[in-house]
Amino acid sequence: MEIKKLLFVTKFEELGFDALRSLLSLRKSALEHVVFVNVIERDRVAMRRGKGYQKDEEVRLREAANIRFIDWAETLFEQGMEVGCYIVVGGLVAEVIKATQKEDADLIVIGRSHKGVLEHLYSGSDVTELLRRAWTPVLVYKHLSETAISVDEPFERPLLAIDWSPGSLRAVEYINGLKDTVQEVHLVHVADEDRLKGTSAMAIQKTRKQARNKLEEICEEFEAAGIKARAHVYVGDPNAEIERAAKDCQATLIVLGSSAKAAWVEKFLGSTPRKIAEESIYPTLLIPPEKEKE
Amino acid sequence: MSKKVLVVDDDPDVRLFSVTVLEENGYTPLEAEDGESGLKMIKAEKPDLVILDVLMPRQSGVRLYRELKTAKALKDVKIIILSGIAKKTFLRSQKALTEFGGAQIPEPEIYLEKPVEPEELAEVIKKVLG
Repeated sequence: MEIKKLLFVTKFEELGFDALRSLLSLRKSALEHVVFVNVIERDRVAMRRGKGYQKDEEVRLREAANIRFIDWAETLFEQGMEVGCYIVVGGLVAEVIKATQKEDADLIVIGRSHKGVLEHLYSGSDVTELLRRAWTPVLVYKHLSETAISVDEPFERPLLAIDWSPGSLRAVEYINGLKDTVQEVHLVHVADEDRLKGTSAMAIQKTRKQARNKLEEICEEFEAAGIKARAHVYVGDPNAEIERAAKDCQATLIVLGSSAKAAWVEKFLGSTPRKIAEESIYPTLLIPPEKEKE
Repeated sequence: MSKKVLVVDDDPDVRLFSVTVLEENGYTPLEAEDGESGLKMIKAEKPDLVILDVLMPRQSGVRLYRELKTAKALKDVKIIILSGIAKKTFLRSQKALTEFGGAQIPEPEIYLEKPVEPEELAEVIKKVLG
């Protein structure tokens, strides 16, 4: 699995060119094509009583987006990259899915903002809905001002949370494909505290050892590909512990598989990936399981 | 028979503008909304001239121009670039692609930066098609 083409979904306020620049390290792996997507929400240009459809507003928003994209595109074109863009009126998720399919993109990058005026730019539900519907990996980028961590190169030191779901195992393959960009990967498995209650110290140690051994096997896969890898087992609430592990490991990115608890679309995204994508201070990469052949 | 001119641009307003200019000046306009469908149409319709945008979905004008200029059967297709992307950028991008191992290709004869007046476009088309 390689990232050759990424879709950069932006409304500009929450995801700017600095974010894109930080992703250009993926060129060391395979990135060669960036597609900008700006969706003008229908509500902003919809019919108003006494005004009708606000065509002037649509033109204004389109041109404002176009001017920004031209400027960004010029920088990328001059580096020999391929660039495309979509400026469309519609629903965010539907238009992003449509563009992803049309472009056959390998990664969707979207911003999550939740402070002050930025709060409503992408509602949590838009990101959630995209995560639920996309069969393409989604990187939820976090605004620099709210992270308090340096994310010059998000893929430099990912923390990969493993729960043995198909999505998380696919994430191993995905990160392996980025061996020229990733310097070190930390693998973490969070053992559920509730499951350990009432069991003996020996049984708890045994559980830890088993998880650790399984993680070490994956570490060996990474090491064979030339990526330094370390295994960690944490205990407790997965949301809190994954965040803690990211901090402990000075990670630049959290990577999670979408847990396929039920077999099909509706439930393929478990609550931990969604919560971390929306609440963590770290950029979060969600890898869905392989799409079943229809 | 009137000459065929293909407009490759993702912006429907720009396509409408170019098509109107072409029709008013007695040409047969064809349309494509991105580089990929533009290339298919060039192969199928063999237009006399292509008016090509640069920043488009699926395949940009940078790559399509390069593909046309390096394909034996297509390298003589006349091209006018009509784009919001600066000519300087277009040339630098081609230079970068050449440095990455691509073939050396000629500069576009005509490069117009958007927006253009209808008279200017009509005049340039006339000049290129003779």
